[in-house]
Amino acid sequence: MDIQVMDKGAFSWALVQLHPGEQFVSEAGALFRASDNVDIDVTTRQKGAGGLFGGLKRLVAGESFFFSTYTAEDHRPGEVGLAPTLQGEVAVIESDGARQWLCAGGSYLGSSADLSLDTQFQGFRGMLSGESLSFLAVSGRGPLLVTSFGRINKIELDGNLTVDTGHVVAFQDSLDYSISKAGSSWIQSWLAGEGLVLNFSGRGTIYVQSHNPDEFGKTLGPMLPER
Amino acid sequence: MQYEIQCQPSYSVLELQLQPGEQVVTEAGAMVWMSDNLNVTTSARGGLLSGLKRSVGAGESFFQNTYEAEGGAGLLGLAPGQPGDIVPYVLDQSELYLERGAYLASTPDVECNSNFQGLRGLFNEGLFILRASGTGTVFFNSYGDIEEVAVNGSYVVDNGHAVAWEPTLEYELTKARRIRSFLFSDQLLMRFHGQGRLWVQSRNPRSFANWIYPYRPEKSSG
Repeated sequence: MDIQVMDKGAFSWALVQLHPGEQFVSEAGALFRASDNVDIDVTTRQKGAGGLFGGLKRLVAGESFFFSTYTAEDHRPGEVGLAPTLQGEVAVIESDGARQWLCAGGSYLGSSADLSLDTQFQGFRGMLSGESLSFLAVSGRGPLLVTSFGRINKIELDGNLTVDTGHVVAFQDSLDYSISKAGSSWIQSWLAGEGLVLNFSGRGTIYVQSHNPDEFGKTLGPMLPER
Repeated sequence: MQYEIQCQPSYSVLELQLQPGEQVVTEAGAMVWMSDNLNVTTSARGGLLSGLKRSVGAGESFFQNTYEAEGGAGLLGLAPGQPGDIVPYVLDQSELYLERGAYLASTPDVECNSNFQGLRGLFNEGLFILRASGTGTVFFNSYGDIEEVAVNGSYVVDNGHAVAWEPTLEYELTKARRIRSFLFSDQLLMRFHGQGRLWVQSRNPRSFANWIYPYRPEKSSG
C-alpha cells in the first residue's frame, strides 16, 4: 500500500495505491475516483465497530452511518482517491500498534483495513453543549488518514495543554485527557463563546486544526433560508 | 492570445492580454479587472435558443460577455465563482465535454452548446452537459484542485467530481456493483471507457451544500 497526499493547495486529497487483494476503508462517500477493478462494499460494519449499533453510534457522533471497504480485484493493483468535504489538509498517521489513536468525529477520512475502529462515545456532557463529542478509537498497525478544516498543526506534548474540542483532530491515548468547560462556570463559558475543551497531560502527539468547522457552519447558517 | 493563470491552484485567476481587435468570450459575472479600452458586449451568443440551451440545459449563463480590445492592447482578469483551479484546453476542430458550471471563457471561434445526455442525465448533475467545439482555447474551472487522469481502459469517478473529458471517452452512470452497496450508498459513479483525458476536481460543491444544510435556522412555528 502506498499513500500519496496531494496537497498542492487548500484542497488536499489522498491517492491510495493498493496491491492486488489489498483493502482500504473510508467513510462512505469519501471516494471520488477509482480504477475500475476496485470493489466498493458499503456496510455498517468495520473491524470492532460492528453492526447496526456501531452505525447508530457513529450517526450520533455526527459521522456517516456507513463505511466503505475498497478491494483491488482481478489480481491487479488498483487505486482510490479520497477527499473530505471541506477545504483543508489531509495527513497520514502511521499507527504503530503500541498506542491507540483517538480521532475526532468529523476528522476521520480513511484507514487501512488492518486497523480496528471503535466509537468511544463521550456521554451526555457532550450532548449538553450541542457539540459532537465522540472519538473513533483506532488501534492496530497501519496508516490512518485524518483531515482538517484549514491547516493541521502537529503538537508533540510533554506537559499540559488545553485544546478547544472543535479544533482537535486526533491524539494518542498515551495522553491523559479530560473534558471540561473552558471557563470557571458554565455561564462564564457560555458568555465567552467557548464550549468544551480537552485538558491533555503527559507525553504524546496531538493534531489540531486551525479552524473549527462548527463555528463556520454557525457563521453561514443564519444567512441561509429557513429549513 | 497571451494569458497567465495566477494564484494557482486553490484560488486561480485568469489574466488575458488582448491585442487590438482580439476578442474573448466569458461566462457572465466572471470579470474581475479590465483595462478601460476593452469594449464589452453582452449577448445570448448563437441566438435565443443557444442561450436557453446553455442556461436551462447546461447550467451556464444565458448571456455571455464578449470583450474586445480597442485602440491598443488590453488586460482582462477573470475568476470563477468558486475557489479552485483553471485549466486551458486547446481545440483544433475538436470537442470537449464540460460538466455544469465548469465553463469560464473561450476564444471567439469556440462554440458552446449543450449536449443532451439522455435519461442517464436525470440521475446525474443535469440532462445536458456543455460541449465546446471548434478551434481555439477554452478555459474551464473546478471547485478544489484539478487532476488530469489519462484514461486507457476504464476509470470510475464520483458524478460530483467530473469536470471535463474528451469525446473519445464514453461514460455510463452506475452505482457500486454489490447489491448491498447499491442499496446503502447514495453515491453515483460515472464509469468512463476508452482512451482520452479526463479532469476531476478534489471537492464536491454539492457535498459542501449538504454539509451546510443542518446549520440553516429552523422555521419558526406559527
